[in-house]
Amino acid sequence: MYPSKKLFACLLVLCGVFFATASFGASLKVAIVESLSGPQASTGLLYRTATQYGLDLVNEKGGWNGQPIELLEYDNQGGVTGASEKVKAAIADGAQIIVQGASSAVGGQVTEDVRKHNLRNPGKEVIYMNVGAEAMELTGAKAHFHQFRFSPNAEIRVKALIAAMKEADVLGSRVYAMNQNYSWGMDVEKAVVENADDGGYKVVEKTLHDTNKIQDFSPYVAKIKAADVDTVITGNWSNDLLLLMKAAQSAGLDVRFGTAFLDQPGNIANAGETALGHYVAHPFNMEAAGKAGEEFGKEYKAKTGHYPTYVEPQTVFAMNMLGEALKNVKAEGDSLKVNDLVVAMEKVKYKSPMGEMSMRSEDHQVLLPVAVSVVSKDAKFKVDGTDMGFKPVKVLSAEEAAAPVQEATNIKRPK
Amino acid sequence: MEYFTISLFNGVVYGLLLFMVSAGLTLIFGMMGVLNFAHASFYMVGAYLAYSLQKIFGFWPAIVLAALLVGILGMVVEAFFLRRVHRYGHAHELLLTFGLAFIIAELVKLFYGNYPLNYRVPDALNFAAFQVFGTDYPVYRLLMGGISIGMFILIYLLLTRTRVGIVVRSAIYRPRMAEALGHNVPLVFMGVFGVGAALAGLAGAVAGAFYTTNPNMALELGVIVFVVVVVGGLGSLEGAMLASLLIGLISSFAVGIDLSLIDFFGLFGAREWAESVGGVLALKISSLSATIPFALMLLILLVRPSGLMGEKS
Repeated sequence: MYPSKKLFACLLVLCGVFFATASFGASLKVAIVESLSGPQASTGLLYRTATQYGLDLVNEKGGWNGQPIELLEYDNQGGVTGASEKVKAAIADGAQIIVQGASSAVGGQVTEDVRKHNLRNPGKEVIYMNVGAEAMELTGAKAHFHQFRFSPNAEIRVKALIAAMKEADVLGSRVYAMNQNYSWGMDVEKAVVENADDGGYKVVEKTLHDTNKIQDFSPYVAKIKAADVDTVITGNWSNDLLLLMKAAQSAGLDVRFGTAFLDQPGNIANAGETALGHYVAHPFNMEAAGKAGEEFGKEYKAKTGHYPTYVEPQTVFAMNMLGEALKNVKAEGDSLKVNDLVVAMEKVKYKSPMGEMSMRSEDHQVLLPVAVSVVSKDAKFKVDGTDMGFKPVKVLSAEEAAAPVQEATNIKRPK
Repeated sequence: MEYFTISLFNGVVYGLLLFMVSAGLTLIFGMMGVLNFAHASFYMVGAYLAYSLQKIFGFWPAIVLAALLVGILGMVVEAFFLRRVHRYGHAHELLLTFGLAFIIAELVKLFYGNYPLNYRVPDALNFAAFQVFGTDYPVYRLLMGGISIGMFILIYLLLTRTRVGIVVRSAIYRPRMAEALGHNVPLVFMGVFGVGAALAGLAGAVAGAFYTTNPNMALELGVIVFVVVVVGGLGSLEGAMLASLLIGLISSFAVGIDLSLIDFFGLFGAREWAESVGGVLALKISSLSATIPFALMLLILLVRPSGLMGEKS
């Protein structure tokens, strides 16, 4: 952020504080609890950029209750313990909304902490806005009234991926499921198995491996080779995805990868031509979103220096949905009534550049359109300074992409 | 047979890569008596320097230059930082290298950003050397293995067959006596530290192109390299080689073994019971392949604390 911008932000906040104390009434604080330092900081910082950008949009339109929404930042250092501590700190500092996205493990902790806090402090509830933790349980067994997920989840991504790859006739009949051994990877594996009939393929083999610990993926590639498959579906992200693809390429393996996170910045630059022809299911593709998408992308780039990618679009959309919901929540006394906001959120219909989005009230999973793209040199927008980009293959509307409410979901609504 | 051959090839080359990084670490440990936490950072710096230099000088010169520069960096660290805290004892040296690792990681992020770089194997080297059971075997892997073996032979001969080697070994084991005999021990220390760092830098420059060059690479490899050095025996070059190969092979072979404790109980006719229990019993060996080296380290520490080839002190 530029100093002048920072100064401006400080002034804004100061004004906010001044006016707040000058009895203009309630204001809203949003806390982002992300890994802003350490190994996963690259993702955490993207969430922060997008959250800030999204809230700025909401504030430009008047914020809430006539005052700008304030963003507090907390560094959870990428871990569960850090996150738990920072959630407490955020609540103590007066935040009523916690935003977090990187890692389902951390998300699981945050959602539990929020649930327990709300149980113990009736009347002082807080909301957890999950903008990227995609394990199924977060809107399943662990779902509760005060959490919302604004990103796709394992089932949505896999379903979209398979539908589009089948339609493009690149899926083949033999599929390998290669995933990381924790909640997210297991969910992807499960979804790949469950979609086998719809996709008309056979899951030849599935593997769960250690998360971001493996340097040498050649033994795994040997396994893929032995299984003789057409397609590998993987939920791997970061290094686990890159190393897997590179190892497959250097072994001369002719398989197609269907991925969830190939659009992470740096991936295409690092993988180079190895990435060509592989697929990704993601919530936003600038080319697919047409004119509105381009406009959104250009505006985002003007403020942040890059086109929105990876986890950023869904985070911006989430903040916009928050803004829409807040329009229908009036201040009561000196603060926001969180339970009113939850109900308002369930009714939001938001039109993102990709299409209509809404929040499902049964499990608080967002229903959003999903694009499936292939890495190609014909893409309109190139990424990472290469001559490649993501060419849209298919866009699924929110209804088409939606996965059914899980059986384990049981949200208890306050009376 | 196919599985065995491929796993053998993969395991040996990965092991040799581990050796490239751990050789310097174990040498430095032999000398200072302290684990150098910043060692894997030298590996990372090597990769990043090679990435920058190859744009100007081409691939091979860049790799040599990167190794040399990291060697110089190592010497600077030894001469201007470690030597100053040496008299305060091992704990201070340890903390210094620990801090250094963080500083290097942050500096790398500052200059090169948070994301992986497009540092790749040059096209001229990106082809298959031969085929094993229909799978291409990349020539670059052979190259990495070759460099590592060459390194081992060179260091081994240097230490055991030359006059320099005698001076270095005496300075490591009996620094006071070596000094009394008129050898410049601080210079020897600086030299060994520089060479150790250069080896790590070389490994980074070579491996960074094959794997990924990103700000976490020091962290990812750092831990496993410690395991290698502990298992092999602190300070022992041959031990490091043995442990590297062992860990390389274990992590490669384990991937293909889909057995779990359920199968073990199955041998005694208790399969159904074990399946009903699930949990830990259902954990496949293949999903633990990256964890097994740590179990091995634990075992070695329990049974033979000085490591496979380490000397009892």
